[in-house]
Amino acid sequence: MSLNAKWVPMRWPCGPIEVARISKSRPADSVLRKTVEGWTQPTSLQLLKGTPINCLVVDWASGTADDESQQRALKPLIEAGRELGLSFVGKVATSENLAAIVTAGRAAGLEAVMIDGPANHSLDLPVISGFARDSVDWDAATDIFSATGNVWPGVALQTMKGDTGVGGPTGEPWMDSNGWFALLARQMVPQRSVWLEIDLPESSEALPVESYCRAIADSRAYGSHWVLTLDGAMRTGMLNGNPKDLSAWKSIGETLSFFEEHAEWAACKPMGILAVVSDFKGPNSFLSGETLNLLSRRHVQYQVLDRRLALAGPVTGLKAVLWTDDDPPTSEQHRNLLDFVEQGGLTIAPKYWGPAGVVPRHEYWLPGYDIYDVSKGRIAVASEGFSDPFQLARDAHLLVGRENDLARLFNVGTTNCFTSIGPDHRKEIVQVVNYASHSSTYLAVWVSLNAHGARLWSPDSKKPRSLECVSESGGTSFELPEFYVNCAIEIEREV
Amino acid sequence: MNSSRRQFLGAMTLAAGAYVAPPSMLSAQPAPAGRVAVGLCSEYDRQVVDVLSNMFDQLGGLEKLVRGKTVAIKLNLGGTPTLRLKYLQPGMTTWAHPQVVGALVHLLGRAGAQRIRLLESAWLTTEPLQEFMIGAGWIPRDFESAAKRVEFENTNYLGSGKAYARFMVPHGGLLFTGYDLNESYRDCDVFISLAKLKEHRTAGVTLSMKNCFGITPCTIYGQDVPEDEPSLIPTGGRYLLHSGKRQPPKSAPPAVDLNAPKDDGYRVPRVVADLVAARPIDLAIVDGIYTMAGGETPAQGTGVSVAIHPGLLIAGTNCVSTDAACMALMGFDPMADRGTPPFEKCDSTLRLAEQLGVGTRDLSRVDIAGTPIAKARFDFRAAWPRSA
Repeated sequence: MSLNAKWVPMRWPCGPIEVARISKSRPADSVLRKTVEGWTQPTSLQLLKGTPINCLVVDWASGTADDESQQRALKPLIEAGRELGLSFVGKVATSENLAAIVTAGRAAGLEAVMIDGPANHSLDLPVISGFARDSVDWDAATDIFSATGNVWPGVALQTMKGDTGVGGPTGEPWMDSNGWFALLARQMVPQRSVWLEIDLPESSEALPVESYCRAIADSRAYGSHWVLTLDGAMRTGMLNGNPKDLSAWKSIGETLSFFEEHAEWAACKPMGILAVVSDFKGPNSFLSGETLNLLSRRHVQYQVLDRRLALAGPVTGLKAVLWTDDDPPTSEQHRNLLDFVEQGGLTIAPKYWGPAGVVPRHEYWLPGYDIYDVSKGRIAVASEGFSDPFQLARDAHLLVGRENDLARLFNVGTTNCFTSIGPDHRKEIVQVVNYASHSSTYLAVWVSLNAHGARLWSPDSKKPRSLECVSESGGTSFELPEFYVNCAIEIEREV
Repeated sequence: MNSSRRQFLGAMTLAAGAYVAPPSMLSAQPAPAGRVAVGLCSEYDRQVVDVLSNMFDQLGGLEKLVRGKTVAIKLNLGGTPTLRLKYLQPGMTTWAHPQVVGALVHLLGRAGAQRIRLLESAWLTTEPLQEFMIGAGWIPRDFESAAKRVEFENTNYLGSGKAYARFMVPHGGLLFTGYDLNESYRDCDVFISLAKLKEHRTAGVTLSMKNCFGITPCTIYGQDVPEDEPSLIPTGGRYLLHSGKRQPPKSAPPAVDLNAPKDDGYRVPRVVADLVAARPIDLAIVDGIYTMAGGETPAQGTGVSVAIHPGLLIAGTNCVSTDAACMALMGFDPMADRGTPPFEKCDSTLRLAEQLGVGTRDLSRVDIAGTPIAKARFDFRAAWPRSA
């Protein structure tokens, strides 16, 4: 038995543990308690018909007196689910008697367990380790691992005053996205999959369907899975056959299917001529992670390099390296970085470790940096080190120069994009996600390549539509039709 | 300034503003008039150079004005570089088109300008102007290769300068006694305003004068500036000028009247009139080949912004006269004032600038060269969508 990278996970709240949770948090909500009981029944699995969901995450043990009845209650559900081809992952929220709990889970038909932290013991079932996203132990990440502490994707509500968006540091409404973390994870541990666990926003009403679709798009476009979680009102509605909720559920299924039908996009390599180098852990985690987030906000396409493994050989395919950590490079990394700079590359660092005797110059538009010209390249050093990720992302973008942009968005509003390239370099994929609750109109996407042709894919259509390639500013631009949540441009490159 | 520039201006205008003459408001002299050239130009292509060149000849020749001089061009790159009306590039609607910028740079270089400086206060940023342009899809290298010594400066902050340059408004000013600006606006021999032929939701029209609203740095006139000194980086838009709800830092010249109305339809035209009196425009050029009606920036989804194709270029040595000709070309009466289109909710910048002695808006006193206005008129309001 092993973890299956093709699992499309959904959290299936059911059984006594969930009832106890509701009784504690919403004691008066008898409707929801009844819903949970309904979702514990095998018949509820019919709701999954027509969706690509093939893996249900269920509570298996919480370290309370409810555990035994939970496991008993789930037995029929698991049996019925397995007959339908579904896999079950049991969430274990206790470390007491872990081995026995897992053994019982195996006997009941679970295919894996999800536990907090790294799996330190050999267990009867494959383990999905769970981490808070700001303290992932990358070395201990299992083939599938989960991350908590994620944001609900969208325009941040705390930046709204009435119907007016309050600008973030960029002057634009602040958008919450987990895209950067998914990119970080897929590049730190390339052969593994990350499942994002996200707390739903507090609401007594069903969330708008677009917001679910956005959460799916925000994870899948960047190569991660959101463990799909539905709010109580929607689950109740679905169970009762409410047409509105069933229609929303259908749309959610279509968005999931859209990404399953284009699973090959997940194998495409993230593009970027800027590499961000860090160990992305401990004291370095915040600055390096938030810098990735803010580079994404500027639509800068980047590569992530694990400091411990990076730059072991000649640096190729990059124009700039952003070394965010105070820790200096090893002698081997130092040599390779210096070669990179001497051949025309740019390194941005918190400390100078280039050749001695080079006198730095300064640019008035970039206060706080000493710029050392070394042979054909530059080393830009923050005079007082790095501290503000917003500033760092902006400075890095300026130093690299917009001339080196791989993608730009016009009438960008609250959209973001991610570009990746196919294994044979013939195809480039630009995934676009809209974080607003209204549609995106007149969005134009520019990419820095000469395109042969382009197709637009969106979840609301099985067939792509052809996009006109307009030569602009040394690249190609595309005019996107109105869309609500997400779409993707598949571009044929001139090779 | 030197004699050649004076000769050039002397042929066309009685005075160029505060540097050389006191305002007629106080001297009781009639506001000066300048010749305005109107050129028909259907597309942004090679013909732009020819049409502009011909227009400059009609104004007395570019060489006399710029040979051996440092020429500063205030571009008209308002708003963010990623904002477009529908899918149209900004040069087709809101910004003076790069083809016009390039043609002008080329002609200035050919006329012997020693140094050509492209200026703009890039929205909310201290990044180099070239970066701002690239963000809009422009290619700054094209401008650099159009003449010998081409420079760029983002004037929304101190920039490459050591200190802000102070421009006092002759005889006191309408809203502020003076303005502190990036040094680039002082350290030039010739100042050109290269604007777009547009309406403006606050000021009625955006032409060569209103373009100069953007010479004010947001480090001094931005919404969140410190009380005593300018900020280091731009802090929001120019709400301070719009609303008057607070004053610029104490280091800047003060308001004429702290109790002046807070209505931006009162304030913005006065700021503009002050600015063109304090920092005179030597050559006004307005790009109306393609543009938009219904405002100065796209109001996406409201249906009031519409792309139009007047096919016009306008240039003149007096900014008030040039803007008056532009207004007539747009189907407006340049003598109009508050309550009459396009000044439904604001005062007329043209009238205020005329009052300061910058120039006349009375077209009966203005010599129009090239295509007559009646033959080139493009009615902006007729282009408005019915829903607007």
